[in-house]
Amino acid sequence: MSAIDLADDAAAVEADDDGARPRRIGLLFWICIGWLVVIVLAALFAPWLPLKDPDKNFLIRGDRPPYSPSGTHWFGADQDARDVFSRTIFGARVSLIVGFVAIAFGMIVGGTLGIIAGYFRGTLDRVITFCFTVLLSFPSLVLAILITTLMDRSLVTISLTLGFLAIAPVGRLARATTIQFADREFVVAARTMGAKHPRIIIRELLPNVVIPMGALALLGMAVAIVAEGALAFLGLSVQDGESWGKLILLGSGTRELEKAPWIAFAPILILFLTVVALNFAGDKVRAYFDVKEIAL
Amino acid sequence: MNYWLQRLGMAVLLLIAVSALTFGSMNVLGDPLFNILGPIANDTTNPKSVALIKAAEAEYNLDKPLPERYVRWLGGFIQGDFGVQFSSDGQPPVSGLIQERLPRSFTLLVMAQVIAAAMSIPWALWSASRANSMIDRSSTLVTFLVIALPTFALGVILKFIFAIKLGWFPQRYIAGDPTFTHLKQLFLPALTIALPAAAIYQRLLRTDLITTLQEDFILMARSKGVSRRNVLFKHALRPSLFSFVTVFGINTGALIGGSLVAEGIYGVPGLGSAIVEATAREDFPVVLAIVMIIATTFVLVNLAVDVIYSLIDPRVRR
Repeated sequence: MSAIDLADDAAAVEADDDGARPRRIGLLFWICIGWLVVIVLAALFAPWLPLKDPDKNFLIRGDRPPYSPSGTHWFGADQDARDVFSRTIFGARVSLIVGFVAIAFGMIVGGTLGIIAGYFRGTLDRVITFCFTVLLSFPSLVLAILITTLMDRSLVTISLTLGFLAIAPVGRLARATTIQFADREFVVAARTMGAKHPRIIIRELLPNVVIPMGALALLGMAVAIVAEGALAFLGLSVQDGESWGKLILLGSGTRELEKAPWIAFAPILILFLTVVALNFAGDKVRAYFDVKEIAL
Repeated sequence: MNYWLQRLGMAVLLLIAVSALTFGSMNVLGDPLFNILGPIANDTTNPKSVALIKAAEAEYNLDKPLPERYVRWLGGFIQGDFGVQFSSDGQPPVSGLIQERLPRSFTLLVMAQVIAAAMSIPWALWSASRANSMIDRSSTLVTFLVIALPTFALGVILKFIFAIKLGWFPQRYIAGDPTFTHLKQLFLPALTIALPAAAIYQRLLRTDLITTLQEDFILMARSKGVSRRNVLFKHALRPSLFSFVTVFGINTGALIGGSLVAEGIYGVPGLGSAIVEATAREDFPVVLAIVMIIATTFVLVNLAVDVIYSLIDPRVRR
């Protein structure tokens, strides 16, 4: 078979995807959503679930920790004989809160700025766009390092820092989408009927901008969770409480990896599954609503 | 010509904005005196420490107003002088520290990009020529999973497999070793950064290649009897490299973030570890210098991308 035949094949398949056939969401999407629901519920209700105390040392007489995975410790026990499974579940609390708060903050601030820039255009647009460019020209991790060292390392600061970093990408998407819709018939109609700017923005534009932003929110949450982990590896994560990043860091020393790789690999597995689920679900939502422009 | 001047002006404006932002926030939010003098910096009742504070303020120009200090710093920076460190003796000067650390980070980044390009281009050609076959679909799934894997997790996994279980590569960077050994020591951290980048490049190039392969000139070449291999390499590859080059450039910024983490995992004393140590000590001149180096690299790479753009596609120049 030649390259052209194959390329034609590809064209045929792609045309099929765009065709009138009802778009399907697929089983894999629901598996991802299912995993996310399970992990969120587990994190929410962790203190009331029949889990081992994450801070308790389960020392076994005559045997030195770490202990390998077994019936009592599903994911093994760490250097201090603490149960890795329940630590991973409790770690989800911090990681998910950071991810959620960060992206919510980015959506609200970035979304507002983006819609305002895209709707009013002119000088205001140019100023806001320049600010976005400056923010994007900063390597985000460096900015996160700066803010967390200068401020403090509480859960709120870390979440808002990562949220601050989400402003520019979210804002750019919101601006681009707003521009697409700002001159459409229904907006013009609303304006001719005498609607004020706030009403047009909230009733006409917002519903159209929210959908692509929803897809971005899922992807962005994955990015924020990963960024928190990266900060943890630089010794800059949340001071009190364990996050997935901190748990992985704890198990990533040479001695731990040689003797007890499960300390690092258990949280890596759970983190990876969660990030994959978020990415996949975000991709599906984006494809379903046919969102063209996503920059994160 | 006018276009390039405009681009250059934008770049300079951006760098000034970045430096002013960093300089301002570090001086407003931090307390540099404390880092130079220690606890006595807050002791204003004792006349002895007051004298010390005055002397330090004069020595490090901290008694001048903020805008003046910024202009002074900017003047020095343009001439390649990054000032003195904020520590009790101010030694070594920031430029010395940068000279020691920068080559390591630079080598790491270049190695990573070379590995990523060397992996992704053949991979994309291979996939695109089999578009939508089982193999192509599973390779797309692999890219999806690799992109989802965080750098730090990938670093730990690679260290576990190649350094600890197989023992093919060293686990740490040792500063005193000869250059050749350094390349071997830098391979795993470079691979850690390169793998996700390669996956991103592959996806992009594959899509563009598939689009190019549907163009009429490809059909023309094929009907003239050009072999499949030649069509792929000589006719399809070059017009498909467009967005690859863009993302290759823009991605450099993201790779810097990844390299900070990779340097940490493999103990490479580069700019990444320097900025972490410096922020911990609130050593502003060091942080500022590194932030500026990163931002400048970023801006220069973006300019270079534009130049390469016009080389690949002459239409851009008009």
